[in-house]
Amino acid sequence: MSGEAAGMQQMDPVRRLRVLAAGVRGGMFAEGFIDAPPEGVWAVAADLEGELPHLVPSVRSFRLMDDSGSRLRAVAVGPLGHRADFEVVLEYGWCLMQSPLVIGGMAAVAEGSGTRFAVLGGVRTAGLVPVAAVLRAVGAVRIGRMVERVRRRTAARR
Amino acid sequence: MGRTQESTAPPWEAAAQLLPAAQHGDVLAMDELLRLLTPYVTRLCRPIAQTDTADAVQESLVAVFRGLRSLNDPAALYGWVRTVTLREAVRVARRTARETPVAEWDDRPAMGDPQLAGDVHDVLRRLPADHRAILVLREVEGLDERTASAVLGVSLGTVKSRLHRAREGFRKAWQR
Repeated sequence: MSGEAAGMQQMDPVRRLRVLAAGVRGGMFAEGFIDAPPEGVWAVAADLEGELPHLVPSVRSFRLMDDSGSRLRAVAVGPLGHRADFEVVLEYGWCLMQSPLVIGGMAAVAEGSGTRFAVLGGVRTAGLVPVAAVLRAVGAVRIGRMVERVRRRTAARR
Repeated sequence: MGRTQESTAPPWEAAAQLLPAAQHGDVLAMDELLRLLTPYVTRLCRPIAQTDTADAVQESLVAVFRGLRSLNDPAALYGWVRTVTLREAVRVARRTARETPVAEWDDRPAMGDPQLAGDVHDVLRRLPADHRAILVLREVEGLDERTASAVLGVSLGTVKSRLHRAREGFRKAWQR
């Protein structure tokens, strides 16, 4: 096994997202156990176009514009019609999304008979740093709700 | 305990190039940086926090990424990651040692076991975390005593005496 493979074995997707959360300004992180296999949970989480509008209240629509290459491009439209361009990395159990203003991430890993699912949200711009602590407090509640929504959407598909 | 730095050292130049974007909140750059650093951090943590390597790796990287924005010089990334990782690995190993009874000598694998690496790790497991850390720095990382003293934040005299006791402890444990 290569050094890189051996190293990454120690860091499953949820652990990786915990680490990134430590580096994101105003990072809002939540994780929870979902009593469903990872395949079912990830079928919901990876369906960005179909599910993100149900999971994230500030997203009215999410369209992938280019699905070639390792980084995808997407356009999100908010409730008031404002658009944001996103870069997206999507692998099994791992998703990162980034616009010029915000970042988002999801991770899933098998835990017993179910799945540990984690969500990350945060801001990128230096101008928003002073409100990062407030965002973190408000966002912790919202992001926790997102785990619950994924749990419900997963159950609805079973 | 061979010196295997070359085989698993991350490409520090590539890592340093990612640093400015990661420091400015580019989460995709952070992810690439994380992928580059993880094998090196794992290699440092494994001999020190043997039973909790995954936790030690995660906590080391959390500390690295939490402090990423305070790092002014990309050229200092390597030394800084090493210092933070050793500190966190020793902390996790000490925490585990408080919670776990020390293994009995009779539990040791028989000499001549084909898994030599397993034997080495088993002997290391019987040493205190501080001794494991100094052995990793000197015998795995190949640092001189003065640099090891700076990395561990202890005096040169402490490094010398700790290294002497760690080597003696390792030798005795290996021969039993």
